[in-house]
Amino acid sequence: MRKDEKDSNKKLTFAIFLPQRNLPAPGFKPAALVLGMGAVCVWGFYKLGQGIREQNELAREKMWSRIHLIPLLQAEEDRDLARRHMADQAREKQLTGDNFKVYNSDRYVRPTYAVTPGNTTK
Amino acid sequence: MAARKPIFNQQVLVDTTPLPDSVPKVKEVGATSAPLLSASFFIGARCRPYNDDYMQCKTENPGKGEFECLKEGRRVTRCAASVVDDINKHCLDEFRKHWQCLDNNNHQLWQCRKDEWKLNKCVFDNLKLEKTIPEAQGIPVHLRSKQIYAHYPALRDPGQAPFKKAVDAPGAEAPAS
Repeated sequence: MRKDEKDSNKKLTFAIFLPQRNLPAPGFKPAALVLGMGAVCVWGFYKLGQGIREQNELAREKMWSRIHLIPLLQAEEDRDLARRHMADQAREKQLTGDNFKVYNSDRYVRPTYAVTPGNTTK
Repeated sequence: MAARKPIFNQQVLVDTTPLPDSVPKVKEVGATSAPLLSASFFIGARCRPYNDDYMQCKTENPGKGEFECLKEGRRVTRCAASVVDDINKHCLDEFRKHWQCLDNNNHQLWQCRKDEWKLNKCVFDNLKLEKTIPEAQGIPVHLRSKQIYAHYPALRDPGQAPFKKAVDAPGAEAPAS
């Protein structure tokens, strides 16, 4: 390259600014972020599973406590219904002399209307 | 119009006629929901045969069980009343603490494990009745020393031993007194 040619070239060159500087990106790498998110999600689902299992067990406990109580409560209610029914039948017999068979079956039907006695005996 | 006063109250609606004398008398249990919930597993432990008899009778007499099963019903009531009486006799303080805790905590059993363990221990020592949950998965939930949903993680008094069969979760030992 001759001296004069170099000089003419020098006149034409201008500063080329390269935006790519090969510096490390700030913050975490995307792979690390994805992995971290995955870890948090796995941990969360693990805790969720634990909670659901414990809730199932608590529900089982609640159900069994109720299962143990139902006969007691039902027996009390049945005795009350039988008492009212027998009182109704006795009252009807006293008033009309006979018990009119309302339904064509032997099933006990819980009365829709309550006939109240004129005077309470309590 | 409507000069007549509307009469609709419990005093008139209650039919107080007692059962006829042919039916033996039985005193109702008369406990409210919280004591019943607190005592339910002990009732179940002692009265399971009577309860099953009664439910079987109800199943075999559809539509007539109210009258056919009065005898079984009386047995159920007497047995449950005996359990409640025994608990009242031997473990009154623990029982009261537990059901009052239940009343104060929306009947959530897991909030009251500390009182429940005391009650269970007392009942087991005196009445030989044990709370068991059938078909429980893993450690039965009432024996776990860590209750995820409880408001307070401190489930035991300092130095209080857990109920006999409780299995400690790792790192959940009771602090020394």
